[in-house]
Amino acid sequence: MLSCHPTIDILTDYSSGSLSLAHALGVSVHLDQCPKCREQVKRLNMVGAELFASQTDTVSQDHMAQLKSNVMAAINQADVTEAKHQERDVFSHIPASLRRWIPKGFNALNWMYLTPSFKLATLSNEAGGPQIALSRIKAGARLPSHTHTGNEVTIVLKGAFSDEDGLYREGDFISRDHNHKHQPRVTKDEECICLIILDSPIEFTGWMTRLLNPIMRHFHPNNALNGA
Amino acid sequence: MNTVSETISDSKNAFLEDMTQVAVARDTRALERLFDHYAPRIRAFCLSAQPGANLMADDIAQEVMIRIWNKAHLYNPATASLNTWVFTIARNARIDYMRKNGRYQSDIDPEEFWSEMADENADPFREAQQQRDQERVRDSLKQLPNDQQQVLAKVYLEGKSHSEASEELGLPLGTVKSRVRLALNKLSVIIKR
Repeated sequence: MLSCHPTIDILTDYSSGSLSLAHALGVSVHLDQCPKCREQVKRLNMVGAELFASQTDTVSQDHMAQLKSNVMAAINQADVTEAKHQERDVFSHIPASLRRWIPKGFNALNWMYLTPSFKLATLSNEAGGPQIALSRIKAGARLPSHTHTGNEVTIVLKGAFSDEDGLYREGDFISRDHNHKHQPRVTKDEECICLIILDSPIEFTGWMTRLLNPIMRHFHPNNALNGA
Repeated sequence: MNTVSETISDSKNAFLEDMTQVAVARDTRALERLFDHYAPRIRAFCLSAQPGANLMADDIAQEVMIRIWNKAHLYNPATASLNTWVFTIARNARIDYMRKNGRYQSDIDPEEFWSEMADENADPFREAQQQRDQERVRDSLKQLPNDQQQVLAKVYLEGKSHSEASEELGLPLGTVKSRVRLALNKLSVIIKR
């Protein structure tokens, strides 16, 4: 049973479509593993659907007739059901919404070592938006102590880790606000891979690991823009 | 087998029938009837997010109707009502359009994860249950006080986030959040955990 879920506010923004794409991606990875939140979103969609269905439009009949004939012409032209890309069973452990960035499995990604037991792979940078990355930490390893300068969402894809507040397993959705300082530790049985969505770069607070901070900033889209 | 759902609103069933015709028989007449019903709603939905953007509304309305045609075989009445299914397609198309036109600078394709959520357990009991839930939401929406209706419309029709809604309504974020929650509670859509 998963213990960490997105709040109802986040799920509502997801359902109404106003959540940023990066965060919606995080939510969808969680939904992939969480039947309860899937059911919750389905019910939230019902609210949207009823409001949607109760609207009226005042546009003229002629105008609608024109649009309709465009549609009918378009479907006659391309009357083939769209080709769905083949599901790759080998990588079925990778959530569907992430497969586009991880087409050949975790190992084939461009990993950047930050410490011997901790590496990072950037998946996507929304210009001026959050950084979407995977973190990969060896079994039993402790992440260098760090704080978040902005909000951070973490979704566990593989393995488990714990911090001062609890233990997090596959599928858990963990939302941290800034000023939250923590030192996660991965469980001893296997490595831990997480999807992380960072509004602004992680800041390491250890005296040695501080040296990593310019790198963390460099790879974050917000700061890359400012040339910092 | 479908006795429960058969007793529920006939017009809804007429559209459901049309949808089946589109999926199974590739019936273009049926798609035209769906167009007459849904296209004006899709336009209105787009115009609430971008008042005056008639071209965008036209584009999206056409795009959504084409998607309905192309995805008809994926629609499963046991997992979502037709309104819900069309709403999610329209919502995704609107996000996609805004993404391509600048509101979201991003290389993420919303279609990939704002999915229509094909769900595993589809059985006729769920279909009936699902329809009852939908009816309840419809009925209780009408009973909501104005301020709660207003905030739900901001969120769902205008596509505003909680914080955008709070700015536009000139209300504290906490007030917006609690109004939305209050409304959702009255519609009994919040699952306890």
